[in-house]
Amino acid sequence: MQITMFAAIDIGSYEVGMKIFELSSKAGMKQIDFIRHRIELGKDAYVLEKIGCDLTDKLCNVLMDFVEIMKSYQVDAYRACATSAVREAKNTIMLLDQIRLRTGLKVEVLSNSEQRFLRYKSIAYRVKNFDKIIQTSTAILDVGGGSTQFSLYDKDTLIATQNIRMGSLRIREKLAGLSKYTTNIQALVEELVNSDISNLYSQYVRDYTIKNIIAVGDYLNYMQSDSGDYITREKFLSSFENVFRLTTDEIAAKLLIPEEEASLLIPSLIIYKRIIEETGAEFIWTPGVKLSDGIAYDYAENNKIIKVMHNFEHDIIASAQNIGKRYMNNKEHTKMLEELSLKIFDSTVKIHGMGERERLLLQIAVILHDCGKYISLSAAAECSYNIIMATEIIGLSHLERQIIANAVKFNTTEFVYYDALAGKIDKASYILLEKLTAILRVSNALDRSHRQKFKNVKVVLKDKELIIMVDTVDNIVLEKGLFGEKAEFFEEVFSIKPVIKQNKKC
Amino acid sequence: MENKEFNNPHYYQNRELSWIGFNKRVLGEARDKNNPLLERLKFLSITASNLDEFVMVRVASLKDMVHAGYDKPDIAGMTPVKQLNEINKSIHELVNLQYSTYNRSLIPLLKKNGIHLVKSHEELTKQQKEYVDLYFKENIYPVLTPMAVDSSRPFPLIRNKSLNIAALLKKKKKHKEELEFATVQVPSLLPRVVKLPDSRGDATVITLEEIIERNVDKLFLNYDVICAHPYRIMRNADLSIDEDEASDLLKEIQKQLKKRQWGEAIRLEVEDIIDDRLLKILVKELAIKDKDIYKINGPLDLTFLMKMYSLEGYEHLKAPKYQPQPVKGMSLEEDIFKQIRSKDILLHHPYQSFDPVVDFIKSASKDPKVLAIKQTLYRVSGNSPIIEALAQAAENGKQVSVLVELKARFDEENNIVWAKMLEKAGCHVIYGLVGLKTHSKITLIVRKEEDGIRRYVHLGTGNYNDATAKLYTDLGLLTCAEAIGEDATAVFNMLSGYSEPLSWNKLALAPLWLREKFIKLIKREEVNALAGKQARIIAKMNSLCDKTIIEELYRASSVGVKIELIVRGICCLKVGIEGVSDNISVRSIVGNFLEHGRIFYFYNGGVGEVYMGSADWMPRNLDRRVEILFPVENESLKKEVTKILQRQLEDNVKAHILQQDGTYLKVNRRGKQKFNSQDFFCREAIRYGKVKEENHMSRVFIPIEKI
Repeated sequence: MQITMFAAIDIGSYEVGMKIFELSSKAGMKQIDFIRHRIELGKDAYVLEKIGCDLTDKLCNVLMDFVEIMKSYQVDAYRACATSAVREAKNTIMLLDQIRLRTGLKVEVLSNSEQRFLRYKSIAYRVKNFDKIIQTSTAILDVGGGSTQFSLYDKDTLIATQNIRMGSLRIREKLAGLSKYTTNIQALVEELVNSDISNLYSQYVRDYTIKNIIAVGDYLNYMQSDSGDYITREKFLSSFENVFRLTTDEIAAKLLIPEEEASLLIPSLIIYKRIIEETGAEFIWTPGVKLSDGIAYDYAENNKIIKVMHNFEHDIIASAQNIGKRYMNNKEHTKMLEELSLKIFDSTVKIHGMGERERLLLQIAVILHDCGKYISLSAAAECSYNIIMATEIIGLSHLERQIIANAVKFNTTEFVYYDALAGKIDKASYILLEKLTAILRVSNALDRSHRQKFKNVKVVLKDKELIIMVDTVDNIVLEKGLFGEKAEFFEEVFSIKPVIKQNKKC
Repeated sequence: MENKEFNNPHYYQNRELSWIGFNKRVLGEARDKNNPLLERLKFLSITASNLDEFVMVRVASLKDMVHAGYDKPDIAGMTPVKQLNEINKSIHELVNLQYSTYNRSLIPLLKKNGIHLVKSHEELTKQQKEYVDLYFKENIYPVLTPMAVDSSRPFPLIRNKSLNIAALLKKKKKHKEELEFATVQVPSLLPRVVKLPDSRGDATVITLEEIIERNVDKLFLNYDVICAHPYRIMRNADLSIDEDEASDLLKEIQKQLKKRQWGEAIRLEVEDIIDDRLLKILVKELAIKDKDIYKINGPLDLTFLMKMYSLEGYEHLKAPKYQPQPVKGMSLEEDIFKQIRSKDILLHHPYQSFDPVVDFIKSASKDPKVLAIKQTLYRVSGNSPIIEALAQAAENGKQVSVLVELKARFDEENNIVWAKMLEKAGCHVIYGLVGLKTHSKITLIVRKEEDGIRRYVHLGTGNYNDATAKLYTDLGLLTCAEAIGEDATAVFNMLSGYSEPLSWNKLALAPLWLREKFIKLIKREEVNALAGKQARIIAKMNSLCDKTIIEELYRASSVGVKIELIVRGICCLKVGIEGVSDNISVRSIVGNFLEHGRIFYFYNGGVGEVYMGSADWMPRNLDRRVEILFPVENESLKKEVTKILQRQLEDNVKAHILQQDGTYLKVNRRGKQKFNSQDFFCREAIRYGKVKEENHMSRVFIPIEKI
C-alpha cells in the first residue's frame, strides 16, 4: 500500500501544534501523532503588535523539536502554516526568516480566508453527509484565538462568510485589566461580544432560518466529544451551563485541564452560546477538526491521494455571485461575458497554457469586474479593486484575490507593467495577471454596449488569428470599432490577433 | 452515612508504625523454622537494611518536621513528636527481636551446621590468631585512617552508615590519667567477614571489626589502648530538593549527594558492653539523644549476613534456586513483533523470564523497520542489557528518547553515569520532570510496516531491571493495540514537555487523572451495591495509605461492597470497624520473592475489569509521580490475572492477615492443605515451560537410516 507520511504544522495564536498523518487512498487520513505546545504568540501579537525575542526563541525551539520528530517518522512532506498571531504581527517577515534559518522550516502565513477554507475542507471530510446537511441553512462557526469566522451555507452552496475579530485569546487579553473591577467576567464578555453579534444578525442571520450549526474550535472538545454526528441544541447549550457558574481554577479542576486553557474556555464558550442563541439552530455538529487536519486534507486532495468530498469551486463561484449581487451587477452582461471569456479561454489553451484553477480565477474576475460601479461610475476600476481586496472569498488565497483584483482594475485602466508594480506581485503571478487581463479585455470589448448583441459566438484559432465569429443582425459598429484597442493587448501577450467576424445570416 | 465519619483519625493507622509492622513480618520469616537456615539469615539481613533506609528517610523527615515546628497531625491524628516517640519504642523492640533471633536461634543453628561466626577475637585459636594478624598487616592496615581528637584536631566527620571503631588512648610513659579519643573507620571496601582456616573443615568466619579491634594498638604506637568498641551512626539523608529553584536538576542532585553525609546524626548504634567514657564522648560530639542510642548485643549492621548467605558449599541450607521460565505461548525464535501482533502477551515475573522484555528492546534496536524507541527508566541494574540495547539503537540511527528518573531514591549516582552514557550514544535523554518523579514503566516502539505505522507497547508494574526481575514479582503486558499505542505516544509527548492529549483512550495517568479514575471505579462498585447488585473489589499493591482512597473504600464497604486487599507493606486502613470496614479484609504476603505487582480488579456488575499499573494507593504515587494505570482487556489474559489474585487470596503459608487491633497473624489453616502462592506460580511456570520444551523441535539432526 502506498502511504505518504505527512506533517501538518499549525502555528496558532496560543498553541503550536503538529499532526503526523498517514495518507493513503485506501485508508484516507490516519492521524498518528499530535504534538502540541502552548505558546501564546497572540499575547505579544495582539497587544504589542510584534512577536518578541523570547517567544521567537521558544517558537524556534519547539519547531526544531518538530523537525526532529518529523525525521523520526520519516515524513515525506510537510506544510507549516501560521495564522492570525503571526499575520497580525508587524515583524512577520523577520520572524519567518528566523524560523527558516534556525529550523529549516518554510512557514506560510495564511490569510484568514485561506485558513478557514482549509478547515472547511476537513469539515466536509469529517462530517457525515456534509453535502446533505448544507441543503438546509447551515452555519459553520469557527472560534479561534484571534477571531471567529461565521459562514452560511444554503441549498448546497456557500452564501456568505464573515470574519469577526473576537476570539478567545483576544477577548481574554482585552479584559485582562478589568478583572479587578468585577467578579462577573462572563457578563463582561457577553457585553463585548453582543455588539459584534448583532451586526452579524442583521446582515446574515435575519433572512435565513439557520437549522444546523457546525461548531469548530479548540475548546469544544472539553464540552463535547469530537464526532461526525450531531447533538441537539438543548443538549449542547446545557453542557455549558455548569461551567459558567465556576471560576477559572474551578473549571480547570473540574475538567482536569490546565488553568490557562480554562481561561480561554469561557470566552470561546460564550461566543458559541450567543451565536447559537441568536440563530435558533436546532442541531449542532462538533466534528473537532483542527487546522492541521485541513492542511493534511488539502495536501492529500491536491496530490490525488483522497477523493474530493465537496466541490468547493462551486462555493467560490456562488460567493462571488453573491458579492456581485450585493453590488448590483448587470446580470445579463456578466453572464454574456462569462460565456465569451470562457470560450476564448478554452479555445486558446494551447497558447496560454493555463489550467482549471486559472479558468476559475478568470470566471471570478468576470463575475466581479463591474462591482465598483456601485460606488463610483467614474472611478469604477479603482473601486472594484478595493471591494475585491476587502471582501473575503473563502477558497481563494490572498494572492489569487490580488490577481483577480488587479485583472479587474486593468480591464479598463492602463496596464501597469512588472517593474512598475514594484514587487507587489511575483513573476509567475504577474504573467498570470497579464494573461487573464488580456482575455478579460477582449471579452469585455465584445459586449461594450452591455446589450448582448452577439449570439452563438464561436471562437476559432487560425494561424496567427483568433477568429471570433458572431451571429447577429444588430449593428456592431461600436464593438468592432473599439475592439482594436482591446485586441492590441491580447496580441501583445499572446502574439495572436483577435478578429471579429460577423455572420448576419440568422 | 455521613462523610465526616470516615474521616475519623481513629479509623486510620499511622504509616510508619504500619511499616515497622511490615518489617516485623519480614523478621518473622527469619524466625520461621520452616525456612532453610541461610534463607532465614537473608531475611534478617533484609530487615536490617530495610530499617536503615527507614530511619534515614522516614525518621529523618519526621525530625525535620519537628525542627521546623510543624505539628500537623497525620492521618491517624498523631503529631510528629508523638510519632517519633512511638516509632522509637517500636524500633527498639524490633532491634531487640532482631538480635535475639540472631543470638538465640540463628547462631546456634549455624554452629550445628558447621558454620561458626566467631563472636570476639579472644575466642580465636592460636593458628587463627596468626592468620588474622597477618591478614591485618597485609590487607587492612594499609587502608586504615585512624584519627585522634585533641585540642588541635577537632572531632572528625563520621560518614553516614559507616562502621567505625572508637578507642580511648593513654600516652605511654605518662602517669597522668589523661585519656584521648580516637576513631577509625572500618573500611567499607573490604569484605565484612573474613573466612578463617579451620582444622575441622567447617566454615569459620570473623567480622572485620573484630580483627581491627584485636590489632588496634598497632595504629596508636605511642599510646596504650584503654578500650576499643565499634559504633555506627545514621544521619538525616532524605533528599529534599526544592525543584522549583533548581535551574539545573542534575547539578543540584550531584550537590545534594555530597551534602548528604553532613546531615544530623539521628541514630547511634554501639555494642552493649561499650565503655561508658567512650559512649559519653560520642554522645556529646554527635549531639545524639539518649533514646536514639541503640545498645546492641552482637555485631552492628546485620546487613553483612547477606554475605554469609553466599558462602559456598551450603546449598542444602538454602531454598532451591528458581530459574525463571519461558513465557507461556512465546517463542524465542519467532520475531517478537510478529508474536505481539498475533495476540497480547502477559508476563509474570520472576516466575516467567524477563528476557522477552530485554529481547523486545534488543530486537527493536536492530530492526530496520523500527523508527523510534521511547522508554521511561526508574531503577536499572548495573551493566543493564536494556541500556546497552538503547545505546545500540541510537547508534543504529533510531530515534531513542529515554526519561531517566534521577530522583529514584539512593540511585542517583548510578543513574547519572549511565544517563550520560546514553546521551553520548545519541539518545535523547530527559532527566526527569520538575517537581515530579516519573515512576511509570512504559516502553514504546514505533515501527513502520507495510500498512503504516504500528506501535508496540510494553507496560509494567516493575522497573526495567533484569536483576530485580528475578526477585520481585511483577506483571507486564506487551501489546500493539492501537488505542494503547496512541496513548503511549501521548504519554511520551507529555513527558517531553508537550501539552496533554485532547483525550485518553485507555491509560490513566497520575498525577492528573489517576486518582479520579480510581475513585470512579470504587464509586461504581458502591453504586452497584446500593442497587442491591453484587459488588466486589480485589486490589493488590505494595502500600495503601492514601486517605481519600481509604475513605472511599470505607464508604464502599459500609454499603456492602466486598473488598479484599493484598497489601504487602504499609496499610493505613483498619479492618473490622463496625459499619465502616467490616467488609474489608487485608492480607500481606511476605515470601521468598518480594511481592511488587499492582493489580486492581473491579466486579463491575459481572463484567469484571482488570487494571495493572505502577502506582500504589499512596499520596506520593497519586499526586507527585507520573504513574500509569492500564487495563487488561484481552479476555483470556484478564482471566489469568484474576487467577493470580485468586491464588494469592488462597495463600495460607506466606500470607498474614491484618487483625482488628492492627497486628498481623498468619492464616489459621485449620487442617487445610498448605498452599504457598509463590511456590504454586513457580510450579505452574515450570509446567508450562516444560510443555513448550517438549513441543520444541530438536536441534539434533536425525538421520534416516532405513528406507
